[in-house]
Amino acid sequence: MTDQIREQLSALLDGELPRDEMDLLMRRLDKDPELRRTFGAYALIGESLRAPGGRIAPPSFAARVSAAIDESPAIVEKASNTRLASPASTARLPQHAALWKRPMVRTALAAGAAATAVLLFRPEATPVAQLEVTPANSFAMSASPTPAQSQRLAGYMVAHSQFSTPMVRRNVLSGLLAADPGITRVSYEMGEAP
Amino acid sequence: MQAMQNFPPSDESMKSREPGDDDAGLPAGTEQSDLELVRRAQQNERGAFDLLVLKYQHKVIKLVARLLRDPTEAEDVAQEAFVKAYRALGSFRGDSAFYTWLYRIAVNTARNSIASRQRRPLDYEAELSESEQNNVAARLKHDDTPEATVLSEEIRQTVNAAIEQLPEDLRTAIVLREIEGLSYEEIATTMDCPVGTVRSRIFRAREAIDRALKPLID
Repeated sequence: MTDQIREQLSALLDGELPRDEMDLLMRRLDKDPELRRTFGAYALIGESLRAPGGRIAPPSFAARVSAAIDESPAIVEKASNTRLASPASTARLPQHAALWKRPMVRTALAAGAAATAVLLFRPEATPVAQLEVTPANSFAMSASPTPAQSQRLAGYMVAHSQFSTPMVRRNVLSGLLAADPGITRVSYEMGEAP
Repeated sequence: MQAMQNFPPSDESMKSREPGDDDAGLPAGTEQSDLELVRRAQQNERGAFDLLVLKYQHKVIKLVARLLRDPTEAEDVAQEAFVKAYRALGSFRGDSAFYTWLYRIAVNTARNSIASRQRRPLDYEAELSESEQNNVAARLKHDDTPEATVLSEEIRQTVNAAIEQLPEDLRTAIVLREIEGLSYEEIATTMDCPVGTVRSRIFRAREAIDRALKPLID
């Protein structure tokens, strides 16, 4: 580690390092723990001069933070929606498309669809007298679904629950079997439902 | 002792604190430098975020230690604040200075820590610590561990002694930078020398102080 590199480090801390010198220095910093230690020491000097007293971070603190970040990298939201990122790096999906890709959103939608199906198609949920008899709702009108209808409903719900978490999936399946003992076979493929 | 009078900090006192209270002392150029590091971190350069941690670790730990009832937890809460900041980095748009943003995260993390501790049922240790807090000496011990106080004081003395030993041009340059917060250009004007010379003088001053500090912090 030469004086020239450490001088660049000092200027970096002060926000006075020209951008063209920064790339190489950052690469060196990634590889050289002593250079990072020096940066931390320069920062400590400034802090001691400006605000003496109080607690200071132990030498291992930054490494601890780094390890804690490494332990949960999946939760990190990277620069997908930032204004600071350079234009070249901002090529991304539209906001609504990105939203669909999030597992939690997918799970919520699948669970919502399954819940809607349960509410809409459970025969005991709606009093028969309140329904108008039309061909469109004749399925919901039947007080007791035929085995074929139960089977189709089960296939529909199972297909949706596949996008959900294992626990939700299990709940859907056990709920189905408990609610309608007439269902003899639960299919994972919509095509297999009669 | 003065700090103890405000413990625990009320929500109101925390709300009324402005980030500017704590980042007012940051020297010129810091904001631009931070934004560049944030931009790089947002583009998956982990090293850039590591530098931000190195730069602000002491400041955040001090801040959190002031807010917590038990400052011995300060390191854990500060670590959590940095991890939260890293996870949320994608949402940082540069509308405020990075430290102002980090400051808010650290204050909220400290508040959450205080709130969760208040919800926690008392156990034997907690009762002990409660009764200890009636004792002034124990409270002092809690406020800052003796080791932390001694080390911090030693560092302050070492830095000051090292600055006293510096040649006048280096001492002036580092004081104008770190204490007065001047930019290199302003220092160059004040000292009537080129900017490159200022950069070199500040670096050499830091090197001399770091040599003196090394046995303490390693």
